[in-house]
Parts: sequence; C-alpha cells; structure tokens
Amino acid sequence: METFLQHVVNGLILGGTYALLGIGLTLIFGIMNVVNFAHGEFYTLGAYGAFLFLSLLDTNFFVALLGAIALGILLGGACERLLLRPLLGESIETTMLVMIAVWIAMQNAELLAWGGVAQSIDHPFPQAPLILGPISVAPLRLFVFGTAVLLILGAHLLIHRTRLGKAMRATFQDRETAALMGVDIHGIHTLTFAFGSGLAAAAGTLLGPIFVVYPSMGDLAALKAFSVVILGGLGNFAGATLGGLLLGIAEELGAGYVSSGYRDAVGFAIIILVLLLRPSGLFARAERVG
Amino acid sequence: MLRLEGLRAAYGRIEALKGVSLEVRAGELVTLIGANGAGKTSTLKAISGTLRSSDGRILFEGNEIHRLTPREILTRGIAHCPEGRRVFPYMTVRENLEMGAYARADIHGIREDLERVFAHFPILGERLRQAAGTLSGGEQQMLAIGRALMARPRLLLLDEPSLGLAPTVIETTLRIIREVRQRGVTVLMVEQNAYLALRMADRGYVMETGQIALEGKAGDLIENEHVKRAYLGG
Ligand SMILES: Nc1ncnc2c1ncn2[C@@H]1O[C@H](COP(=O)(O)OP(=O)(O)OP(=O)(O)O)[C@@H](O)[C@H]1O
Ligand SMILES: [Mg+2]
Repeated sequence: METFLQHVVNGLILGGTYALLGIGLTLIFGIMNVVNFAHGEFYTLGAYGAFLFLSLLDTNFFVALLGAIALGILLGGACERLLLRPLLGESIETTMLVMIAVWIAMQNAELLAWGGVAQSIDHPFPQAPLILGPISVAPLRLFVFGTAVLLILGAHLLIHRTRLGKAMRATFQDRETAALMGVDIHGIHTLTFAFGSGLAAAAGTLLGPIFVVYPSMGDLAALKAFSVVILGGLGNFAGATLGGLLLGIAEELGAGYVSSGYRDAVGFAIIILVLLLRPSGLFARAERVG
Repeated sequence: MLRLEGLRAAYGRIEALKGVSLEVRAGELVTLIGANGAGKTSTLKAISGTLRSSDGRILFEGNEIHRLTPREILTRGIAHCPEGRRVFPYMTVRENLEMGAYARADIHGIREDLERVFAHFPILGERLRQAAGTLSGGEQQMLAIGRALMARPRLLLLDEPSLGLAPTVIETTLRIIREVRQRGVTVLMVEQNAYLALRMADRGYVMETGQIALEGKAGDLIENEHVKRAYLGG
C-alpha cells in the first residue's frame, strides 16, 4: 500500500507537467485546427531557456524559469505570426507539414547551438526528501507539482473568466460567428499559439532540473502531449488536465509494478486501448475548450 | 442608409453575387426573397464583411464599408443575425448575449440592453445559465436575435428568422421584429417564406441567381404575377 501511494504521488507530479503539455496542444488544435508537431520543441526550448539564463546570464533560478517561459511565448507568437497566419484557411495537412518543418528546424538548431551533450540544470532546493507519513517527496518535485497546478488553474481562469477566454471559446465553437461578433480571429490565433507554446516551455523548464537537457528531449514530450490530447478528447481542456494526470500515474504504476523499461510503453498501451474503445476520448461528454 | 452598387462576390470560382444593387432607407423594413442558392445569404455576408466582395461598392450612411473588417462594420452599427441561428452551443445564454456586445466597452449601456433583451424575450432571462446548445430551436432563434441586438445596431441583418420554427413561434418572432423596428432599428430581412416576409415589409427585392430580378413596394410584389407564380405558390 505504501509503495502504491508513493507511485501515485510520483505519477501526479509527472502528470502535472504532462497536463501542461496537453493543454497547450489541445488549445492550439481546438481553436486553430493546427496539429502542432513542433510542440515538443517548445518544451525543449523551455529547458534550454532555463539552462541559458542560468549558465550564461547567471540569473536567479526562478527568474530563469520565468525567462524561459517568456521565451516560449515570444517564439510561439512569432511562429504563428510569420508561418501560420499566411496559411489561414489552408487545409490541416498544409499547416501540419509546416509544423513538421519547424520541428526539424528547431531541433537541429538546438543541436547546432549546444551540441549533443546532455546538460543539467542546477536548482536551489535541498536534496533531502520531505517525509509525509508513508511517502517521501523531493522538495524540487513538490515545487514542480505546485507550479504546474498553479499554471493549470491560471489557464482555466483565463479561459473561463476573462473576455479573452470567452473570445477563444467562441472562436473554437464557431469561427465565422465569432468574427461576426467582432472577435479578431487573427489576434486570437497568435495569442493561442503563444499561450500553448508558453505552457509547453513551462513544462520543459519545470522538468529540466529533474531530468537532463538534450536536443531531442522534445520528441518523447510531444508523443506524451499527443497521448494526453487523445485521452482527453481533441480540444477538451478539462480532459487534457485529467488525461495528463492519469498518464503520469499510469506510467509510474507501470514502471513500478511491471518494469521501469515499460514506463513509456504503458502510456502508449493506454492510448491504443482508448482509441479502440472510446475514440473520442475518455471525457467526451465534458465541455470542450472550457 | 445602406446602398449596394453592382456588388460582386465569389467563393473560389463559384460566383455568388453577379452585380447586386439595392438600397435600404433609414427606418425601413426591407426584405430580400428568392429561391435556394439565389445569393441572399451571400449578400448579407458581404454587407457584414464575412464575404469579401471582388467588385462594386457598399455604402453605409454615405461611407464605403466594403473594405472594412467585420468588427469595424459592426461598430459602425450593422449587426448580422446569421442563417441557422449559430448560437455558441457550449456557452451559456448569458455568455452568448455578452458575445453580442463583445465589440462594445460601455458597461452601463450593455447592462441596459441586457435588460431590454430580457423584456423582449422573458424566456432568455429564465435560462441565463443554460448551455445555448440545449435550447429549443425557437429559443435559439430568440437568443440569436437577442445577441445581435446586444450590439445596439442601427441596421439589423436577419437571415431566415422563421426557418424551421413552428407557426406560433414564427408569430412570436415576427412580433419581436416589429418591436425592434418600433425602437428605430432599420431591418434588412432575408426570407424563404415570401408571403410572410412581404406581408410585414415596406419594400422587397427578389433575387435570382446572384442578381436582383425585381424590386418594389411589398404590397405591389405580393400582387405581381411572376412573384405569385414563382414564390407564393399561386
Ligand atoms: N461557403 C461556400 N462555398 C462555396 N459556395 C458557396 C458557399 N456558400 C454559398 N455558396 C454558393 O453560393 C451561391 C449562393 O448561396 P447563398 O447561400 O447566398 O444562397 P441563399 O439565397 O442564401 O440560399 P438559401 O435560400 O438556400 O439559404 C450558391 O450557389 C451556393 O452554392
Ligand atoms: Mg441563405
């Protein structure tokens, strides 16, 4: 029982960042109808961004995290403005190919800039784990989970409580009518892509100090993000949140009880099952994009 | 108030409007009738800026508006209640009405208009927190009209307000359109149901394959032999 609880806690911590990745991807797909194959690269960018701020600019750890997220937001916005806006109205396959190109270009740029060597990110948290009854958690991991939860809540409030969020939901539900109401669809697209990329960068910057940083780290992250989106249902915000947490827990349980080599396989086995049994996602009846 | 001059517009290679000219004067209720695919919806879309025109002009109160964005056209005072209602299905009734006022910033005016919409449509006031997609067809039509009124338009474009509604609900809808007019809102209404439209309009235009085929006082059009044969089933 104790080890089970420990696995669940570890899974939740991992799952919080999966949820961040999934929410970003699902918003971009739901609102813009773009399958963002470069999503994992914004995750990598977040991790390298933090590394860059710490090693080159010698900033405070927390400032580095914020800086890395800002980098993701800016580059995401630029990517939409320069590459996707001219393609508005083109088929989903066209934008998909463009995003695959961005994926390859960004990954090779990272390889060029940092070489293939894995880097680690220093953090100011003590190594000694906190013991809470039967479970123990490293302070860094607690911080990662807390931040992920705050970001998810923030995203939820943005979408459900603000004017911008209302415009995003309207665009998702009926683009042409949203335009009739005076919503600037171009602006919504730029903000959505910037926001989704910022969430991916946040996930990367949070997991960077836990794992190591290397140029192709985004590939696996992108696969996880796609898994989360499939689990939660395309364009489903609440589904992506729950899907992320579920995937994290399933992976930890799989790694703990089957074999650590099967960690990633467990996640994909679940995806295959969901696609076979409930292809519209586990939470198909929940409200979409909010 | 509104004048279209030789307006042309196309969807890719399909030409939907082949030189449409019409006029709506302040305070009028003008109807645009015609068969399926004649280009009625496309005409309204061109006016509200969601279909780009390729040639011709649209003048609103003397100013060209055919190169403006939908938002700019809306803030000048033209609201478009689209064909098929198009409420935001996962949003509540209240959020839908708020979306109608999205381009406005005068909070007091918005609250006033919200109250006025509830006075017109008591049912909406009772269903504020219900998802719009779960309303009945008639209720959705009221919501769509209410949402358009939330922009406080001076010209209201209505596309087939009677579509798919039961006769009693159509009567309610028509009564509301008359009330809206009495408040000084000018109306351009597209209708399949020509008899119904001509009965309540001041003037009418008959559209055929992307062009205006006939125009005149509503009373004269009802008596017109061609209109009778083609659109009134007589
Ligand atoms: N989105 C579109 N893409 C391509 N062609 C379109 C589109 N919308 C309309 N058309 C075409 O433009 C022409 C005019 O259509 P429009 O919808 O304006 O007709 P309508 O008079 O409103 O018809 P209805 O009474 O059926 O609503 C038709 O030939 C139609 O097929
Ligand atoms: Mg039509």
